[in-house]
Amino acid sequence: MIISSFVWLLQDFLQVLVTRLILAPEIFLLAALYKLISGPQSPRRAAKWIWFVFFGGVLWDLRWASVPGMSGLLNVAALASVYWIWDRTPTAGRSALLFAAIAGGAHLFSGVIHYLAWALPGQAAMRTFAIQQLLMIPVLALLCVIYAFKASNTHV
Amino acid sequence: MVSKLNPILVNTLLAFLCGLLLIWSSSAFPGFVRAMVDKWGAALYLPEVPALELRTLVQATGNWVMERKSLQDRNSELELENLALRTALQQELAPEPQDSSEMIGARVTLRYPDAWWKEIRIDRGSKHGVRSGAPALSDGFIIGKVASVGEDYAWVELVTSSSFMLAAVVDDTWDLGVINGDDRGNIWLLYTPPEKEFQRGMIISTALVGDYLPPGIPIGKIWGEGDLRDGFMPQKVVSGAHLTQLYSVQILRTGGAGGGAD
Repeated sequence: MIISSFVWLLQDFLQVLVTRLILAPEIFLLAALYKLISGPQSPRRAAKWIWFVFFGGVLWDLRWASVPGMSGLLNVAALASVYWIWDRTPTAGRSALLFAAIAGGAHLFSGVIHYLAWALPGQAAMRTFAIQQLLMIPVLALLCVIYAFKASNTHV
Repeated sequence: MVSKLNPILVNTLLAFLCGLLLIWSSSAFPGFVRAMVDKWGAALYLPEVPALELRTLVQATGNWVMERKSLQDRNSELELENLALRTALQQELAPEPQDSSEMIGARVTLRYPDAWWKEIRIDRGSKHGVRSGAPALSDGFIIGKVASVGEDYAWVELVTSSSFMLAAVVDDTWDLGVINGDDRGNIWLLYTPPEKEFQRGMIISTALVGDYLPPGIPIGKIWGEGDLRDGFMPQKVVSGAHLTQLYSVQILRTGGAGGGAD
């Protein structure tokens, strides 16, 4: 969780850099999802991550949005959904590709809800949303490579 | 399985409740939320300083580049304007061309950029004695010949025009050739035999071809050989006149060939 906290700061750092241009990809959420699925699967551990991403989202909203709580809710929904799918997938099927699909889907879901919640979802907002989703791809690819590498070493 | 999911469900629902409570509180207690936002922003100030500095640096660099480009563009515009003004001034300051018994002095009044090496228009025409086919000179060198004549203007085809043809002779060897341009500022002496060795600097003059064009008017000097073509070795010629700065020319008064107004 310490690493994920630094990832939150990194996302904040990136958002400061690109303010008024684009939205930084939600690398905090992606990193949390990765840490959740790459560690031992236990409900107690998952519950800790739920509260971790919730507070991460609340703090993000306090810094960057006018309505605190929304990102927290979306992060919790994304993390719970990913855990639910991952937990029900047989160990043999828990591949990097599956992680990419569900983590990418969670990021997309979060982005779409944010986009719909914006006061003026126009062409500029759509472009911002699209760029954010595109920027997510390399981050997700990196996490997939790390997961695949780790899985091959530990024979998961 | 249900017992395994229970902690997840419970914590998820609790987190949802907290989230909804926060969203509600943001409208119910805006002052409290604003205070939280301010405190969190202040806490993040220090970690965000490097990003702010980096962003400022990037923006400053971008602005500098944009400003530099804008200044360069403006500078180019001013240089062009300056050149145009200087050219106009030089034309105004050029001495009034003087007529003589052999020459008609004329000012260049038009030279199209897209036909820069082809033709010029002068302010003397048939009523001043200009005749079609008459040679035009500058600094004592032939620079073209009158192609068409109006009452008070005439068009001169330049020696650098690809349609310009003029019989010429190399003064030192008496070899004959034809002067021709290429529309790009070059002048060539065509139809010279390849076995002849011409030296750089040899003078080329007009050959005797008719009474409207006297022989012996200098054209320029040989500069070097071209590429062998159709059994001949063209010689590159440099004009003795400043073809890029033609502000006034002299038209030779001729008695033959030329007609009146075209």
